[in-house]
Amino acid sequence: MKDDEFLKKMENLKVPDINPTDHPEQVKMAILNASRSAALGVWLIVVPCYFLLCVFMYYFSHIHLGWFTAMFKLMQGLEKTQFISFLGPIILVVLPIVCIVINFLAIVHVSVHKPYPENPKAREMKVTLMVKPVNILLILLSLAIVFVFLAYVMAENISVGR
Amino acid sequence: MKLNWFIRKGIFYLPVSVAGWIILVLAAAYAVYTFIDINGQSHSVSDVMINFVFNLLIIGLVYTIIAYFTEARGGGD
Repeated sequence: MKDDEFLKKMENLKVPDINPTDHPEQVKMAILNASRSAALGVWLIVVPCYFLLCVFMYYFSHIHLGWFTAMFKLMQGLEKTQFISFLGPIILVVLPIVCIVINFLAIVHVSVHKPYPENPKAREMKVTLMVKPVNILLILLSLAIVFVFLAYVMAENISVGR
Repeated sequence: MKLNWFIRKGIFYLPVSVAGWIILVLAAAYAVYTFIDINGQSHSVSDVMINFVFNLLIIGLVYTIIAYFTEARGGGD
């Protein structure tokens, strides 16, 4: 008797309705690995950060010179050095931009959906940014370095124009 | 082609194969050569340090870029 009751109870149990196709939609994979991108990103911006640190040190030891003048003199020094004369713009622009790209690809997830089955032409794009503090910090630092270089180029052009 | 020349420990890459060790030794040898070259041309210690650290960081960057593309990938983060 007890076995029959138990079997009846088991048959009447409500099974949760799980759609297995929903699960993959919840997995949001970024294009690049976040920790690998952060590791390379640190190396990509440590060189321009050191360069800017040197500029600051130069500025504080030569008070009569302006910040941009000090940077300009360091760039001139680089240009005189054999084999690394082309490194100035690469270090201050290309490396931070590469850092921005790889870290952005590591925290962003983009997906395109068709939200309305009755209207197949209508598409919806979802952009998800994952909160990875190290990657976001590297992106912000790289943006600051690029901004500093652009400000330097603009100031130099204005001063040359005069 | 999958290359397993390096493994990553934090932000540093350690060699785990003969090719990886050769790259590390070459990078170290070039860093020593750079230091000797800069030391011969510079007139002060600060001059040596500023230029050498700058070159050392660039060597580290190139080494890391090589290691980034040739590291053993165990899994995700």
